[in-house]
Amino acid sequence: MTNHWNDIQHSDCMMVIGANPAENHPISMKYVQKAKAKGAKLISVDPRFTRTSQMADYYSPLRSGTDIAFMGGLIHYAINNNKYHKEYVKHYTNATYLVSEDYEFNDGIFSGYDEESRSYDKNTWTFQRDDDGNILKDDEMEHPRSVFQLMKSHYDRYDIKTVSAMTGASEEDFTQVAEAFCSTGTPDKTGTIMYAMGTTQHTVGSQNVRSYAIIQLLLGNVGRPGGGVNAMRGECNVQGSTDFALLFHLMPGYIGAPTVSEKHKTLSAYNENETPASGFWSNKPKFLASLLKAYYGDNATKENNYLYDYFPKGRKNYSHISLFESMYEGDIKGLITWGQNPMVGGPNATMEKEAMKKLDWLVCLDLWETETASFWKEKAGQQPASINTEVFMLPACGPYEKEGSVSNSGRWMQYRWKALEPKHDSKSDAWFAHNLYRKLKELYSQETSEAAKPFNALAWEFGEGEYPDVDLICREINGYDLITGKTITNFTHLKDDGTTSCGNWIYSGFYPDAEPGEDNNLSKRRDDRDTGMENYLNWSFSWPVNRRNLYNRCSADPAGKPWSEAKEGIWWNGEAWTGHDVPDFGVTTDPAGEGGKNPFIMLPDGTGGLFATGPADGPFPEHYEPYESPIPNVFSSMELNPAVHIWKGAHNRRGKFADFPIVATTYRLTEHWQSGSMTRNLEWPSELMPHMFIEISEDLAKEKGINSKDKVKITSARGEIEALAMITKRFKPYKIRGKKIHHIGMPWHYGYEGIATGSIANYLTPHIGDANTMIPEYKAFLCDVRRVET
Amino acid sequence: MSYAKLVDVTKCTACRACMVACKNWNDLPSDSQAYGGTYQSHTKCDGKTWNVLQMKEYETSSGGFEWLFRHQACMHCEEAACEKVCPESAISTTSLGNVVIDQEKCVGCSYCTQNCPFDVVELAEYVTEDGETVERAQKCTMCDGRIQAGLQPACADICGMDAIVFGKKEEMKKLAEARLNEVKDRYPNAQIYDPAGVDGTHTFYLLAEDPAVYDLPENPKVPVSAVVWKDYAQPMGKALLGVTTMAVMTGYITNKLFNKEGHAEEGGQTDETDKE
Repeated sequence: MTNHWNDIQHSDCMMVIGANPAENHPISMKYVQKAKAKGAKLISVDPRFTRTSQMADYYSPLRSGTDIAFMGGLIHYAINNNKYHKEYVKHYTNATYLVSEDYEFNDGIFSGYDEESRSYDKNTWTFQRDDDGNILKDDEMEHPRSVFQLMKSHYDRYDIKTVSAMTGASEEDFTQVAEAFCSTGTPDKTGTIMYAMGTTQHTVGSQNVRSYAIIQLLLGNVGRPGGGVNAMRGECNVQGSTDFALLFHLMPGYIGAPTVSEKHKTLSAYNENETPASGFWSNKPKFLASLLKAYYGDNATKENNYLYDYFPKGRKNYSHISLFESMYEGDIKGLITWGQNPMVGGPNATMEKEAMKKLDWLVCLDLWETETASFWKEKAGQQPASINTEVFMLPACGPYEKEGSVSNSGRWMQYRWKALEPKHDSKSDAWFAHNLYRKLKELYSQETSEAAKPFNALAWEFGEGEYPDVDLICREINGYDLITGKTITNFTHLKDDGTTSCGNWIYSGFYPDAEPGEDNNLSKRRDDRDTGMENYLNWSFSWPVNRRNLYNRCSADPAGKPWSEAKEGIWWNGEAWTGHDVPDFGVTTDPAGEGGKNPFIMLPDGTGGLFATGPADGPFPEHYEPYESPIPNVFSSMELNPAVHIWKGAHNRRGKFADFPIVATTYRLTEHWQSGSMTRNLEWPSELMPHMFIEISEDLAKEKGINSKDKVKITSARGEIEALAMITKRFKPYKIRGKKIHHIGMPWHYGYEGIATGSIANYLTPHIGDANTMIPEYKAFLCDVRRVET
Repeated sequence: MSYAKLVDVTKCTACRACMVACKNWNDLPSDSQAYGGTYQSHTKCDGKTWNVLQMKEYETSSGGFEWLFRHQACMHCEEAACEKVCPESAISTTSLGNVVIDQEKCVGCSYCTQNCPFDVVELAEYVTEDGETVERAQKCTMCDGRIQAGLQPACADICGMDAIVFGKKEEMKKLAEARLNEVKDRYPNAQIYDPAGVDGTHTFYLLAEDPAVYDLPENPKVPVSAVVWKDYAQPMGKALLGVTTMAVMTGYITNKLFNKEGHAEEGGQTDETDKE
């Protein structure tokens, strides 16, 4: 989240798209309710009418996979109806910048495309510069090469009629949403976008989020109370695990992981190629050197480049789909699934089951035996004798049986204490990591091979106990001043000369200035007094540096005054920035001075990117159809995102509309959690949602001769499952480009283990991912449905 | 002092934490039911499931659509039919206004289950300390142990949306009135449901639609015969005939008077049949 949960209450309009907070983030609705009590409006945009839709003031349906069409329509509406926040756009975004004359967009393709590699050379996605390197601008935003004008013409095609024809939202519903949300484009109002996996799990997932960022920048809603682009995370600590390098292409604190390439061959090459000249990321070498000091301790010195050479360099894409494709090819011999259940949660799960058969060994750490742990059993439809994979099940303890912090969607790092002793032989995640490390270290200790060196060089200074000392882990994350031995104040004190260490620079500051043995863990703070605008600055710790709302320089006008009294964030008092939050800006940077109006300090030029050069698939979000689409794209002749990787092989069949004429999506329910491995093993949540079902419209039920409660079969190009029919008014057939298109939905929680069992929805979903992140496209695919004769 | 639980259905998101919290606090078994074709998990309240979140798809007269949610549990009637018909005086109203069943006195005769105007009391199997399996009437107690100790009922305590709140009845009524004004634009048919036929209830509602939409009786009443029985016949009978004889007669009289299938008396559920 750019903002945080409590901040939602300051919103005038909350657009929920690609999410269903009433069902999947129930407590968030408390803050939505607070905003509504003050007159705010709630919008729900979803393929089906959900529990969130019921709470909403405006509901609009949207065919799965058409977010960019919908948001493009909003951008079109805001620009053409003069609803955007002009001052904000002019000063705080790159709308005024002039784009290179070589940049082009033709029929769905941006300049620099290479069809063979399905990728872009981004050389033309640049700005015009003068001889001194300064970006050329037109403050009036009228120049035909200005970002604003290029954006305007890009979204010219996204008029209400076309958008309605593509998304299936009626013109009335779309207009209602557009009017309500774009009413926040004034200085005294803010609107927020709340999204989740319905946004990201698409071949255009990253660009879906980009489209939200663009509308929010246009309406002047970023960096302001009640505004922002707010990802609601699906687990209590998924924010934390992402911050701590859960993703293969990142090191802790979003430092890009080095790869096998000339660019990353040495530490100096990495720093040279990955450090921008301006913006806060210009400090990256200090963060990286301090991280390597945390990894390798005293063994890392300036002279040996902090043992950067020992750090593994990535050879290819290691995202979920890629891993299982490699496993299927026999390249991967062992797998640890740690609180993860790919047999239920992975896309194209039938194929993933085949892939796991090729493993020599599989280790599963979980509270209960998961479908993954028992993938080889008869109940999984297997012949155990034919499977050679050796499977180990290690019992993990529950969340209340261990100590440590979790980071919520709003970046609040909140410490939790152990309430109960772990049952039987179950152990915490930290115990497993600690003992796995120590065992490996012991095994390598007598070796001097090249492979053993990195292992023997690693530092692991978390005590000698059976459990690691969580306090020492916390201190290492915060970082030390290695000269004084005290923990460091925050990341602005990190150095690249070997005198500081830091396990994760963005968290640096949560444990400041502590002598050894002195407790100063700010994530333990529980002061619930409001310090202003419900930011609760003395409750826990929010990264970075306890800042609650990111980009909060935008909460003040260019001169440094709050845009409106009701929306105060920080302001310039003549000498410094002060207010209700920790400034996301140079505290003494005068608004009238150099860079004083450039609020996005993480970016090299300090302005919000309406035109962005980062994404792999284009500087402006463009609508493409999902991998499996029911209708030709109206916006261009490009059907699928031209930059996504297409996996080959018999197990990756792509369904055609002629064979699979129904659009399907998957989702979660309040009553179950993720792959159900926790909730489906508990009796009370299980009795609330005991059966696997699909939701279908009355219209489709009639066409297919399906009655309520009938058993049905759902088939896709990858598999077939059985479920029970739920015939509902909450799903309606869509009218897409004049044609009736049916749409169904189903939960993906079920499997063959536990109390509440049912078919695995992911037998149906494809192996195809987003062009930037490779997140699988779970949310839109084609299928067919028929009644099972009994 | 009279207390009450206000259920503001317009705030409810149907997360059903109330159902889990209830089972947890009251140590009730799970009772997974056959698939009913909707999100609703249980068809109605019974001895194992004291509150059920009703989920109804409803097309309004103006062509709009609402997915209506209602936490349903014992209404704790001021004039409680179950209490009136109980031949064993096992059912009583506490000083706070909640209606409770004494499991020691209950003999499982099921007159209460047949006469509840809201159909929330049911028999459930119950194993005594001697290991004997018996049937006893069970229902929401308003978490009597909790509220007597100054706590909130478990369902109100867990509700993140404040859709279930508990307090002095007078204050809850004021809150309901204020909320009614706030939600009238969104729900033109919104109304407070605190039926006078049973002298008001200690679980009462702010409903978004007419009671009938939620399968609630428009005007529930305690059957006249029940009043006659409890307030006149039973005390007189006990005085005249002695307790043992009276207990034998109990079965005969109540069967006659309160035959569920017959629905000879006004009130009870008869009221509901034409409201579909």
